[in-house]
Amino acid sequence: MSAKDMLPIDRDDASAAWFDAAADGRLLIRKCPAGHVSAPHTTTCPRCGSTTLQWIEAAGTGVLASYAVINRRDADPLPVAIVELDEGPWMRMQLQDVDPASLATNDPVEVRFAAPEGGEPIPYAVPRAAG
Amino acid sequence: MSTLNAAIVGLGMTEMGKVYGRTATQFAVEAVGKAASDAGLGVADLDGLLVNCGLGRQVGMPLAADLGLRDLSVLSEIQSFGASAGVMVMQAAAAIAAGQATAVACVFADVPLTEGKRTGAAYADPKFRLRPGFLGIPPAGGLLGPNVGYALAARRHMDAYGTTSEQLGHVAVSTRKWAELNPAAQMRAPMTIDDHQSSRYIVDPLHLLDCCLVSNGAIAVIVTSGERARELAQPPVYLHGGAQSHPGYIDERDSEFGLVTGAKKSGERAMRMAGVRPEQIGVREIYDCYTYTTLVTLEDYGFCEKGEGGPLAESGALAPGGSLPTNTGGGQLSGYYMWGMTPLSEAVIQARGQGGERQVADHDYVLVSGNGGILAHHSTLILSPHPKEA
Ligand SMILES: [Zn+2]
Repeated sequence: MSAKDMLPIDRDDASAAWFDAAADGRLLIRKCPAGHVSAPHTTTCPRCGSTTLQWIEAAGTGVLASYAVINRRDADPLPVAIVELDEGPWMRMQLQDVDPASLATNDPVEVRFAAPEGGEPIPYAVPRAAG
Repeated sequence: MSTLNAAIVGLGMTEMGKVYGRTATQFAVEAVGKAASDAGLGVADLDGLLVNCGLGRQVGMPLAADLGLRDLSVLSEIQSFGASAGVMVMQAAAAIAAGQATAVACVFADVPLTEGKRTGAAYADPKFRLRPGFLGIPPAGGLLGPNVGYALAARRHMDAYGTTSEQLGHVAVSTRKWAELNPAAQMRAPMTIDDHQSSRYIVDPLHLLDCCLVSNGAIAVIVTSGERARELAQPPVYLHGGAQSHPGYIDERDSEFGLVTGAKKSGERAMRMAGVRPEQIGVREIYDCYTYTTLVTLEDYGFCEKGEGGPLAESGALAPGGSLPTNTGGGQLSGYYMWGMTPLSEAVIQARGQGGERQVADHDYVLVSGNGGILAHHSTLILSPHPKEA
């Protein structure tokens, strides 16, 4: 786990509970009364319009819906991805402990957190053994 | 807009590229002045002004004062990112049809380049992106700027349809061949597929030569009614169809992000309004912030089957002499980067028949696309040198 390739950000009112859970290593996502699950930033359910969304804890596992490798001038290439959580929502995040040359869509990953100095915990994904 | 009766009558372009020491407003004033005089009008004849600022947000409604316009009946800032040029023309046409204005200038201006700072730094500058809370999370992890978003989109297309980097390279090479014929293009040296493949990755799968230029400058057009257009200085370019689509992708399983864009619905609506089919369109000016967007947009407009954009590019159809002339001024990849004004300006030139060495013989219908916000916003215009039959 490393926050060396991350930049610090602050929380705001809407994200405070999410960052508190992230500090405990728990990934929260949104669920509406009708059972529709959506990404953490969601404030209105895109399926039914409900604004009474509750936090639920995601399994923290998923697969790569897409991936890319940022070619940096003064540092190693930085792999990033769209992670499709098992519950369905997508989250865009950094990848760690992977070989950037052998990534593939649908690779199984799990989400972890690291906090750059002076900032809130930021999610990243690492490979997960299949099965 | 069933009573569509508008035409583009003036086009004004400033010097573009690494042009320093001028503000976005100064560029915009020059572009509007040039567009008015191109039409045979004075700036004082304008009664409508629509302004689209670029990333720097340095130009807006105060432009009216800089132009000395004191009695505008239409004035707004328009923001649909890369789709804005098409949106401005549609808004201008609607204002004219409603009798709210008679001559509307639509202008884009931006100065993302600073002398001594590397190209494109403005578009990946953390201070523009690192907001607190959820919006800041992807940038905090390194997903900063549009290159990453489009790389993730392109990868999905490559995975789903077998599109290859070489096929994206053919888009870059075809577009460069057009730029070689355009004196206003910034990148005119011949390019090969090898050049494309050996150019460094910006964000894998996108090489340097998959990515557009970044330019300072401004472009303006003047829109008026079809009747008035016929009394002015330039051959009128009539608006036959215009539409938008904002896909509102939900970021979750089964999203079409990267696979199908707003061009599909926007294109269908615009072509229905114009009463044309894709095979009747002689010239395509596609918003090409990346080679991938040209390819996926052509698919969505129906110029080939879904997923066949790669083989289409490889066939050479998009290049000079090909069956589907596309981005005939060199686009944003090799020409100049003025957001949606890049495809719109070249469309006006082609529709007028003023393309010189690069003029496409069949220019009865010219299609213009705009795309912004990483595939979130799309606009389509269908232009023609012939009046639209009622
Ligand atoms: Zn719901």
